[in-house]
Amino acid sequence: MLGPYTYCTWLVCSVLEAGVVVCAIKAGAFRRYLPLNLWMLLELLSGLSRFYVLHSYGLKSKEYSYFYYYSEALATIALYFALSSLYAHVLEELKVESYVRMGAVLLLVGTAIFSYSIVRQSADRMTTRFVVEMSQNLYFVGLVLTYLLWGAILKLRETRTRLIQFVLSLGVLFSLFAANYALRNLYPDLRWLWGSLPQLFDCFLPLAWCYTFLRIPEEARIAPARLAVAPR
Amino acid sequence: MSRRLTVVLLVMLVLVGAMGLKTVVATHGDGSVMMANGGGGPVPPSPWKNGGGGPVPPSPWKNGGGGPVPPSPWK
Repeated sequence: MLGPYTYCTWLVCSVLEAGVVVCAIKAGAFRRYLPLNLWMLLELLSGLSRFYVLHSYGLKSKEYSYFYYYSEALATIALYFALSSLYAHVLEELKVESYVRMGAVLLLVGTAIFSYSIVRQSADRMTTRFVVEMSQNLYFVGLVLTYLLWGAILKLRETRTRLIQFVLSLGVLFSLFAANYALRNLYPDLRWLWGSLPQLFDCFLPLAWCYTFLRIPEEARIAPARLAVAPR
Repeated sequence: MSRRLTVVLLVMLVLVGAMGLKTVVATHGDGSVMMANGGGGPVPPSPWKNGGGGPVPPSPWKNGGGGPVPPSPWK
């Protein structure tokens, strides 16, 4: 049975996702950050369609279950490309866009091959297992890529505040999910808490990105490299 | 050429790192699916868990020979 908390966080999350796209258009940055905006639109569309499927078939129905995991896989692939576009932004001065594209495609293919090698012995529902395994593996690849990107930002002394804000909020989101998963395994008695927190985490990223588009202009600069320098 | 090889090496390093991390997490986890859970909505049960409706059989490699498990040699 779904309670008001689930519906409330779901609604807030959807409104915030729509808000990101509206704020990007208002700030004139929709095309500049097209993959990020497309990912947000896909998340919004995915949330609305899930609501429709959930109310048509029910939470424990196979239809909702399949729809949820397949839409999640699509959204994770879109997130992966959004992350690759952030790499292209950070490394644009090095003129390595073609290498970033090549690396992104190779990594996606490698993850797909790895996922297939895990599920290939499953006789039943192999496609669904593959889709779930692929989403999960892409989540971990995204986690590692985000931390590497933050390292690249520090190393290259990137100063664009908006870009830094996008990367940091993605890093915080991944870390929140990872921490929640770890705590769920450490304290299984509080399963109700660990089960309800991810819905709040979902709202964090669109909220942070709305703030970024609204309050931080494209020209704003910051020096994150100074944070890494230890005072003597 | 060397730049392309560097890209391939970096891709393999990221893949190995991510899959290693996933293996460590999954080994200590409860077997539940971990993903970014975007788009909202409650997480449904896995479509293949207890699919046939019957009870889950014991793992074939646990207590395989039927004998008692010996104490750890390093304790």
